[in-house]
Amino acid sequence: MTKRIAIVEDEAAIRENYADVLRSQGYQVQTYANRSTATQAFNLRLPNLVILDIGLNEEYDGGFVLCQQLRAKSATLPIIFLTARDNDFDTVSGLRIGADDYLTKDISLPHLTARISALFRRQEALKQPINDEHITRSGALTVDSQRMSITWQNKSVDLTITEFWLVHALAKHPGHVKNRTQLMTDSKIYVDDSTITSHIKRIRKKFMQNDSNFDCIETIYGMGYRWLSANNATVEKN
Amino acid sequence: MVNGKSFKLRFGLRSKLLLLSSFLFIIPWFGYQYVWEMEKYLRFGQEQTLVGTARALATALHERENLFNNQASFLPNVEQGKDLYGYKLTQAVQLDGLHSDWPDFNQRTHFYHHQQQLFAKEPLSVNFKASVGKYDNYLYLFFQVVDNQIIFRGKNNRSITNNDHLALSFSDNNNQLNRFIISNKQAGWISAFNITNDESNIPAPAPHIQGHWLLTPQGYNVELRVPLDNLGDNIAFAFYDVDKADSEAVSAIGSADPSIEENLGTIVVPSPEIERIVKGMRYTNSSIWVVDQHHRVLASAGSLKSASGVWHAKEQLPKEEEKKSLWYQFKQQLLLPLYYKILTKPSTDFIDQLYDEQHLKGSHIINALSGKATSQWRLTTDKQALVLSAAYPIFINNQVLGAVIVEETTNGIRTLRNRALEKLFTVILAIMSLGALTFLLFASRISSRIRHLSNQAELAIDKQGRIIGQMEASSSNDEIGDLSRSFTTAVNRLSEYNHYLENMSSRLSHELRTPIAVVKTSLENLSLLEEKKHQSDKNNSPYIERAQAGINTLNLILTNMSEATRLEQMLATTEKIDFDLQQVINGCISGYQQIYPATKFSFENKINSPKTSTFLLHGSPEHIVQLLDKVISNSVEFSQDNIITIELQKSDNNAELSISNNGILLPEKLSESLFDSMVSLRDKSQKDCSKQAVPHLGLGLYISRLICQFHHGKISAYNHQKPDGVTVQISLPIKV
Repeated sequence: MTKRIAIVEDEAAIRENYADVLRSQGYQVQTYANRSTATQAFNLRLPNLVILDIGLNEEYDGGFVLCQQLRAKSATLPIIFLTARDNDFDTVSGLRIGADDYLTKDISLPHLTARISALFRRQEALKQPINDEHITRSGALTVDSQRMSITWQNKSVDLTITEFWLVHALAKHPGHVKNRTQLMTDSKIYVDDSTITSHIKRIRKKFMQNDSNFDCIETIYGMGYRWLSANNATVEKN
Repeated sequence: MVNGKSFKLRFGLRSKLLLLSSFLFIIPWFGYQYVWEMEKYLRFGQEQTLVGTARALATALHERENLFNNQASFLPNVEQGKDLYGYKLTQAVQLDGLHSDWPDFNQRTHFYHHQQQLFAKEPLSVNFKASVGKYDNYLYLFFQVVDNQIIFRGKNNRSITNNDHLALSFSDNNNQLNRFIISNKQAGWISAFNITNDESNIPAPAPHIQGHWLLTPQGYNVELRVPLDNLGDNIAFAFYDVDKADSEAVSAIGSADPSIEENLGTIVVPSPEIERIVKGMRYTNSSIWVVDQHHRVLASAGSLKSASGVWHAKEQLPKEEEKKSLWYQFKQQLLLPLYYKILTKPSTDFIDQLYDEQHLKGSHIINALSGKATSQWRLTTDKQALVLSAAYPIFINNQVLGAVIVEETTNGIRTLRNRALEKLFTVILAIMSLGALTFLLFASRISSRIRHLSNQAELAIDKQGRIIGQMEASSSNDEIGDLSRSFTTAVNRLSEYNHYLENMSSRLSHELRTPIAVVKTSLENLSLLEEKKHQSDKNNSPYIERAQAGINTLNLILTNMSEATRLEQMLATTEKIDFDLQQVINGCISGYQQIYPATKFSFENKINSPKTSTFLLHGSPEHIVQLLDKVISNSVEFSQDNIITIELQKSDNNAELSISNNGILLPEKLSESLFDSMVSLRDKSQKDCSKQAVPHLGLGLYISRLICQFHHGKISAYNHQKPDGVTVQISLPIKV
């Protein structure tokens, strides 16, 4: 079954470019230039994935409003924000109201398509039974690379695709320092250093919601970050 | 600039106001002038009063012939020596032949010599001085005779003229001639004889003429007195000199021939009648003289020393409790001595010229005697007091027969003026000090307000021209308040504009991002299409790759441009944690060693303390790392010998981190603005040889500064010599 992707974007050229590249990937793409037409269409039928811009014509926060409406209709519908706004505040707000990922418009198209397919894969994987082949465990951490889900101390940690990739890259080789460039490559984004820093901070917070003593992501100042497995952590502490 | 200014003489608002207020000093000057005018006016008044007094007295004497019936007063002219003037003696004279009790004897004598000789059979061997005075009811006469041969009357001599004798004649009240001869047998009490023209008559002793005959080395003195009650207006005396015992007189010398009635001279004595009238005027605080037409004093009253005019009010003695008051003490001990450095106290102890009562001088008297009432001002001889004299003629039968002269000092007016000036000075001093104080307070208040405003304005904008604070608008409703408000508005607007400028790059990057995304996605689509078409030959589309490389660079630039803004936003939400700076630096340096393998990093920790808490900071270690990244990458780029020295030391409560590299120096101009947004030092050649494809926007050190400010620290850069290079100094407060 062909996946249907809806793009809500007020800038026609970008809209069409994204649509073209996604169509070439075999998706069925619907494009909307403003919130009202998008809402009308979504009322009739929900697509499989929605790419939203935040500012829609006159509506400064139109994307956020739309996201809330969609989330109200469906808890599982993948929503990606693709926007020119790169500040922390908008990122946090976007993710908080239920977006699955928050991307800036400087992301390259291959990165974007990789993310979309990853989201669809995750969705698919959730429908299938858990396959132990894709599960790696390290201490309290369990990584299901197919479902792109992570549990810590047997509790699920709700991560975005980008965050999953970051944790995955770190936890694959515990004790190895990953510098920011490596992390950016692994998580298929290109941002500046401080954005990586805030990503890491957000990840830590998410883990800490489950375990307030979480300290497995260590900052190696000047170099990058590394994952300390529970054993390593105890060794370090000693 | 500021230092340069302080060398100049600063002429502040306060000093200007003080200078302006010094114009107030004109007021006391006007006051002083006014008092002077008043004094002038008072003097004029005094003059009028004085003339009035003189006129009043003269009026009392007009047409009172009997007061002037002395012949002398009617004489057209007087002859010195013949027409005599009896000085008024102020105290009793002892008849002892000595002139020591005669006041001003030498000035009041007339010298009789050969011009006054009556006859001389032999060369003149006698001369004498005579003085006439009046005391009580007697006319006193004093003769000092110089004679080579003194011949007394023989013991049994019947004749009274065959020896040295004095002949005295005067008319009585009935104009009858009375002749006397004083002829002594020895020195001592005189023997006076009354003689008549009839020589046969035996001379009768005249006991009412008393006196003393005293021998002196030069001759003899005769002092005698005649009762005034039977003394007329005419008098004559003559000394007859006898050189041989019991012989005729050889020569005679005297005021006139006493034996001939018509020859007799006149005598004027101060008239008791006029004096009585004048005495009535003595309460006028003036010195009064009445003179006849020959300038001879007929009567006088009052003394100039006590004649200070009608203005002379008695000084009120302060009451006892007033004396004790602080103000009185202050006035007496401080103010008055100060005032009298300018003012002069009128002296009552002045010395004035002596009056010759026989001949008063002065142009006003001459004028008065010619019929004109005049007044004149003159200084006393010692110039201590100013004397006002007024003269008024006395008319009898349309003829001026005398004048009234009234004199006063201006001491009264001067005392009055002084007191007025004292009060004026005190009031002015009070007003001035109060005014000056008020002015000073007002000026201080204004200048402090303005200074406050200027400080506020200075604090609102830092050296780089950034708005670092808000100004508080003053609520006062005056011009300074207006200024403050407009300053506040200006600063606010400037702050908004600054904010706009600071966000400019981020806004610009945001706005550019969409079109770039359009280009980028289009290019990527294009390249995907190309790839599909020519899967075997990828190099066929170099233009697309170049365009993509370009657009990626552009994208990077935009990301960098908004980095600072994003950092600011991030810092605002960053939670501060405690961390060890030393650990962060150690980690960073090993990281840099990997990133820049060609560069040698030497880290010197000046405190070799094992304690990790030495450099415990409260902040965001990630951002400190970012700060170090920026500074180190900068240093590496500018380093010529590939050695970066990092020093960490502790001073007070600050961690001092200095990062030095050897290489080109900072230009002086830029050292301040180096840490500002969009300032780059890199010259063209450096930019060209820079390996990075990303151009420098000069945001790196600006970001460093933002991070330092977030940690309440400071960052500065300075040049060091030998070897030349630049040191970046970062100072961060340590958590205590």
